[in-house]
Amino acid sequence: MPIFRSEEMVLCQFFLQSEASYACVSELGELGLVQFKDLNPNVNAFQRKFVNEVRRCEEMERKLRYTEKEIRKEKLKLHDQGENPRAPAPKEMVDLEAKFEKIESELREVNTNNEALKKNFQELSELKEVMTKTQMFFMAHGEDLHSIVDDAHRAMGQEDTGIVTATQGSVQLGFVAGVIPREKVPGFERLLWFACRGNVFLRHESIYQALEDPVSGDPVYKDVFIIFFQGEQLKNKVKKICEGFKASLYPCPETPQERDEMLRGVNTRLEDLKTVLSQTADHRHRVLVGAQKEIRTWIIKLEKIKAIYHTLNMFNFDVSQNSLIAECWCPSSALNEVRTALKNGELLSGSTVPSIVQMMQTKKKPPTFFQTNKFTKGFQAIVDAYGVASYTEVNPALYTIITFPFLFAIMFGDAGHGIIMFAFGLFMILNEKKFTRQRSDNEIWNTFLGGRYIITLMGLFSIYTGMIYNDIFSKSANIFGSAWRMGDYNETTTLSEYEEYTLDPIYFFRNGTPYPFGIDPMWQPAKNKIAFLNSLKMKLAVIVGISQMLFGICLSLFNHLHFRKYLSIFVEFIPEVIFLGCLFMYLVGLIFYKWVTFDASESQCAPALLIQYINMFMFSSKLPNSTASSGALVPCSQVTFYPNQQTLQYVFVICAVLSAPVLLLVKPLVLRSRHNRKMLLSGRAPGVKSTEALIPNEVTAEEEWAYSHRLQRMQADGNTVSRSVNSEDEEVPHNGPTSIFLVEEEEDDFEFGEVFIHQAIHTIEFCLGCISHTASYLRLWALSLAHAQLSEVLWQMVFSLSLKMDIAYIGGIAVFALWFAWANLTIAVLLLMEGLSAFLHTLRLHWVEFQSKFYEGDGVNFAPFTFKELLKMDSLEDLK
Amino acid sequence: MFPELSFNIDHGYLEGLVRGFKSGILRQSDYLNLVQCETLEDLKLHLQSTDYGNFLANEPSPLSVSVIDDKLREKLVIEFQHLRNHCLEPLATFLDYMTYGYMIDNIILLITGTLHQRPISELISKCHPLGSFEQMEAIHIASTPAELYNAVLVDTPLAPYFIDCILEQDLDEMNIEIIRNTLYKAYLEDFFNFCKGMGGGTAEVMCEALAFEADRRAFIITINSFGTELSKEDREKLYPRCGKLYPDGLEMLSQCEDYDQVRTVADYYAEYKELFDDAGTNPGDKTLEDKFFEHEVKLMKNSFMHQFQFGVFYAYVKLKEQEIRNIIWIAECVAQRHRAKIDSYIPVF
Repeated sequence: MPIFRSEEMVLCQFFLQSEASYACVSELGELGLVQFKDLNPNVNAFQRKFVNEVRRCEEMERKLRYTEKEIRKEKLKLHDQGENPRAPAPKEMVDLEAKFEKIESELREVNTNNEALKKNFQELSELKEVMTKTQMFFMAHGEDLHSIVDDAHRAMGQEDTGIVTATQGSVQLGFVAGVIPREKVPGFERLLWFACRGNVFLRHESIYQALEDPVSGDPVYKDVFIIFFQGEQLKNKVKKICEGFKASLYPCPETPQERDEMLRGVNTRLEDLKTVLSQTADHRHRVLVGAQKEIRTWIIKLEKIKAIYHTLNMFNFDVSQNSLIAECWCPSSALNEVRTALKNGELLSGSTVPSIVQMMQTKKKPPTFFQTNKFTKGFQAIVDAYGVASYTEVNPALYTIITFPFLFAIMFGDAGHGIIMFAFGLFMILNEKKFTRQRSDNEIWNTFLGGRYIITLMGLFSIYTGMIYNDIFSKSANIFGSAWRMGDYNETTTLSEYEEYTLDPIYFFRNGTPYPFGIDPMWQPAKNKIAFLNSLKMKLAVIVGISQMLFGICLSLFNHLHFRKYLSIFVEFIPEVIFLGCLFMYLVGLIFYKWVTFDASESQCAPALLIQYINMFMFSSKLPNSTASSGALVPCSQVTFYPNQQTLQYVFVICAVLSAPVLLLVKPLVLRSRHNRKMLLSGRAPGVKSTEALIPNEVTAEEEWAYSHRLQRMQADGNTVSRSVNSEDEEVPHNGPTSIFLVEEEEDDFEFGEVFIHQAIHTIEFCLGCISHTASYLRLWALSLAHAQLSEVLWQMVFSLSLKMDIAYIGGIAVFALWFAWANLTIAVLLLMEGLSAFLHTLRLHWVEFQSKFYEGDGVNFAPFTFKELLKMDSLEDLK
Repeated sequence: MFPELSFNIDHGYLEGLVRGFKSGILRQSDYLNLVQCETLEDLKLHLQSTDYGNFLANEPSPLSVSVIDDKLREKLVIEFQHLRNHCLEPLATFLDYMTYGYMIDNIILLITGTLHQRPISELISKCHPLGSFEQMEAIHIASTPAELYNAVLVDTPLAPYFIDCILEQDLDEMNIEIIRNTLYKAYLEDFFNFCKGMGGGTAEVMCEALAFEADRRAFIITINSFGTELSKEDREKLYPRCGKLYPDGLEMLSQCEDYDQVRTVADYYAEYKELFDDAGTNPGDKTLEDKFFEHEVKLMKNSFMHQFQFGVFYAYVKLKEQEIRNIIWIAECVAQRHRAKIDSYIPVF
């Protein structure tokens, strides 16, 4: 049963002929059922055997990444047609390399041309702007440069004019014009002012249309400027500053006619350039569309090659036999598939020497592997989130499939909400193919989608518990006819007329059959509904909780049997059952006893469970019958349930108390005496820090359990493997099973203190846990109560208002509006928020209260070498 | 009252971030792997397995040392800019102070370059990106320090440091060196006072670091000035006066005439005595410069022991710089097939 325990794993050794190894690993990758071990952990990445191939792959990756980036820049998408090309043979790598090289160089060429053209275009359009702006500028101020400066100075202030006019005419004013990025203008202006001591005159004007950056294609905003200066020295300085600020200067003729001439020339050149540009863009597009069709296949192929070489790098190379030695974990049930895959690999590569598969014996803990399907996957994930199961221990996921939705539904008991949740889950299941193919990025949606089967089951179970609670959107359904009757009850009166009644079974219960399924709808309008439901739900919570805990302890029995820890059955399992049974199963028994034996007529004098239970621990119960006692009036609640109750309770409490020291002391002491005996036999003094196994009986047990039917390791081949590298591995190349498990030195010290402390922690945790976990299960009651109350409040405060409204026409609108509010709040608060909270509480009940009874959860997940994940990628960047 | 109490409100995130960055600094085992590299491609492959990740993935082969250098530096700058963009006062000012040192270096580099008639675009690419500022590229218009100040530097944060070196002389090699050291002196003293004003752990850690920096400069200036025309008085003016050498040590240093006398001065100070004792010029010995670097690394590592202070930011940048120097050293040795001295990097952790 693959879900009850994890798959049995074997450590295999492959001897692959070096020419066949690539094809074999490729086949294994497609199969995805083996997890390779790194046999050269101490070798640097760059000193491994296939580092050159990996490097070539990386180089190809770089080219593909470039191509993909260009494709995306062109706003083309990568299409997933579900293709799954096989990894190409190593000799085809050269073809791929050539292909990628061609594409990349073609693209780069196109891009450089394009960039050059665009740069040219940008320069020309800047020149055009400079021309038009200067033309306009000179038109506005006249052709005489001095008058322009004068104009400006006059505008600035009257006092300056005198100075300027003094120098007027003596020197010829020169000017330069150019274009500068807009954000640099203020700094540019200031530096010009400082550097030339105010002797230059700058005008600038914005170019409204954004220019395109030739390399990145981003929009750039620029300004046209014109600077007037005096003399050669200032000209040099201005030019240097322009260079420093990356401003581009353009030649600007002095006379308007020349400027016009130039502008016309520029315009025609711009037109020509535009046609050339559109042609190159077309060409580029064609190249990219061609690449777009195949790039996904290429990426998958390339990544497969790279993964194969990475795997090959983990192998040992045996020079004498020209073969590669791999070690891997694989499920023993899949050995035949692995062999077939290897054969296929040999066939593909045309190798003549077959590869050898060999079992190895090891003391290393194998990885945990559960074969899941889409239904069990979600539940397994819930368990794995707490801790991956230890190798072949009982897997709680199997039971979680039912208990999880059930505990959830106890807290979420409302058939109406359950139907919505069920419908939503069903919707996702029916469309799962479509949704999984879409690969949404929305994390919340993916969470829901991943848990679609859980949601559906939770919805289904909620419908069931909702029917039991008789809650449908906080209303009850009277399907079978209520078993209660009022004084003036007849078939025509409706239940709502009894809103003020306190239901007392003595007066109102028809002595017939009770309501056949779930809670009687009569309770819905009753005054004492809460009191009734509380008592019922609380007891149900305790019963469910204690049953689940007992079940958990029973599962630990399966673990003990499986791992042959027979000692643990007697000193752990049995005391635990006695402890839980005597104290808590007894409580459950009392609950049922009280339900069965006391009916409404005696209920006034029924013993109270709580007080009886407390008295049990205080050893202070009163005599069985108040009338039989010596006349003193004992309150009814203190009277015992049945004769000899006190004696029986004494026995129970003493049994429970006694089981605690058994749990605490016996196991460490037995282990120590066994250990000492072994020490004496082997001639060493007890108490000396030894090198023996921690728990001898477990080791021998493991030996029989796991390795009795394994093949022996071939001594001859084992020696060829370079042992120096993996000397830390615990594989022991002995001849037979008897010698294999002679315990190795330096590990498995028996530390009595440690074992004892461990056991003490376990004992305390268990005993206190039983009490606190029982209390913890009361959350089932609390949340179910809260859910019911919340939905009732929502009904009464929101929707029922509109129903009570007695206004013509407007009432209809109110119903519509308030229904809308009610429905939205139901979805948001009751379904989403309450659902989430119930989910989390269920999660906790499973992780803490249930699994702590038997689950160890310190395994390592099986991580097979597989290509499947590769196919899920959307882009090369996803694979990082 | 207790600045540590509220430190995390403003700077906790960044401190955590920088401590995280710190754990990405290469360790001794990484260096041992790096020195085994045969080619730069090997180096790239190993760096991929460290915190640097795929920083070279988009570079076409064959790699060159300068590309590696650029990329290493780019990564540091990105991290620094991220810190700078997310910080609040007074950390913002503190980080700005850290960039001033690079600005000084850039200015000096540009001036020296223009003196040697190199085109400005070639020089700009050599500037450290942490110390770039808007007016930087226009620096070559200046031919005298006064011009430099008036035209270019007056708007930069370096302007106050420049007050002492406004001269009307033309710029020449000697002048530039003096400008650099004067600027550095003013900068260190200002930074020192700023940190001292911060108080608390920052003052404790940073004052020690800056004091060491100041003393190192004083020693180096003295040693480098032998055999040049720099007068003793001028030399004394260049010493930063915030180190442990101030005032007596600087006084003595200013009178030194050869290396042995400098050494005698260092003998008065326990920590510097050690550095001078171990340094040698014979092959196989570590140079004084390396000893200084080693001491700096030690100081910087210690600053991570203090919490709730800004010293970690300074220390991280310094350690990362040392790491970049180490990688480049190894890369150069690998590229030039000169493996004899490949081991003389300075391990950080």
